[in-house]
Amino acid sequence: MIVMEDNRLELSFPEVHEAARCSIEFQRTLRIPDDGHDYPLPPGLGRFPLRHLDDYAERLPESWRERGGVIAPMHQAEALWINFDSGYPFAVKVATGKICAITGDSWVDHLNRDPQDYAVLPEQPWLDGYCVNEGVIRQFVAMPLGEGFTVEEQLTGAAVHGGLQLVAYPMKAVRYEALRSERDAWLDSGVCYAASTEAPPAKASMGLAPGGRMKQQIYDDPYGLDVWDQRHGSRCFVSLLNTTQWMTVTGTRPPSEPPTARDYTARGLPWFDYYGGDARAVAGSDKLGRLASVVQHAKAIGQEPAPDNDAIVAPHVIRVGKRRAVREYRGERARA
Amino acid sequence: MTHFGPTVRGIRERLREDDRSYSVRQVARRVGIEPAYLSKIERGEVAPPSEATTVRLAKELGEDPDVMVALAGKVSADLQAIIRKRPRLFAELIRQLKEAPDEALLRVVREVRDGNW
Repeated sequence: MIVMEDNRLELSFPEVHEAARCSIEFQRTLRIPDDGHDYPLPPGLGRFPLRHLDDYAERLPESWRERGGVIAPMHQAEALWINFDSGYPFAVKVATGKICAITGDSWVDHLNRDPQDYAVLPEQPWLDGYCVNEGVIRQFVAMPLGEGFTVEEQLTGAAVHGGLQLVAYPMKAVRYEALRSERDAWLDSGVCYAASTEAPPAKASMGLAPGGRMKQQIYDDPYGLDVWDQRHGSRCFVSLLNTTQWMTVTGTRPPSEPPTARDYTARGLPWFDYYGGDARAVAGSDKLGRLASVVQHAKAIGQEPAPDNDAIVAPHVIRVGKRRAVREYRGERARA
Repeated sequence: MTHFGPTVRGIRERLREDDRSYSVRQVARRVGIEPAYLSKIERGEVAPPSEATTVRLAKELGEDPDVMVALAGKVSADLQAIIRKRPRLFAELIRQLKEAPDEALLRVVREVRDGNW
């Protein structure tokens, strides 16, 4: 089951194992320059607010009501990353506009191994965008549906779904217990495991498009497809509203726009790099790699590219690892 | 006397085993209180701090703020506001559920509905 707590999705599968729980949250962040350079990981600037879609159903289009799930606000050209927190192994698929963010294939509920279309928790602490190359992603950037920017539109030619979709499958209990025993044995042997309120708003909504390039590995599944309990999955559709729609529908203000990457960096604030040990990364998706980024598409259709896209140098990069995978910046300390 | 102070000290000292930034001085600075005050809190020499400070302390230590606020003998302001808005309904709900096992309480928790997509 999935419940919402403090703007986080809390997933639990007591029918599989009492420890089968994980949290998924959507972090606000800087939009990195979309200039062909590979940037380090930007900070988390706090969670996007989430609401049950059902609470605002009468103010939303009928087609949205069928989806269920939650709603979240995003400014145009705002970026997000997904933060996973789990001590129990999970396989999580993420799609935007029902296109898989790792393979570029159309959405199916089940997991695929070749190519791998899911991330493995807790090895994968974050997902910032589309896997376009081994060790390189293009940042998730919100753009209005209908203008051709989104991955969904570029790959299907249609602007139907938008938003973000996910499904999570826990590891089978038997396999988890075996894994735990193996780890305990390692520990025992002394090896350190480091590890508006009247009329409904316009139907236009937000989708996610490929932004700037960033260094991030999507880790290869070290366990194999058989360990995942695909009889017990939980899905969620995250519908994205632009800020005007959000205020009309919920009557609340969304968070203000995040700082630009340039302003953030000029203050000497940190970027991040993640070291995942020797874990192998999946190859990038050719389909996703061939797509036009937001800036490239804007130029192609004669629009002004997004502002604040100048190249920057991030001199202060904090390297984080498995033991303390934190990258949210709140004043003096980075944490998540 | 509550268990708040010793619990805080136990959690902080466990964290400090791996990370020296969890000293009394540095934790107090990050939470925005004087080190001497945090030290007194941990020894139980003063009452638990305000709700806001308790929440900051819980987040700093990676603990659940609701649990820490309860351990401090308080009910968080947001929960009080929720109850005040519909006092009869929530008072009845809480009384009805007070003896219910955890599994039954979890069934009352609202799920995020998955639809057709």
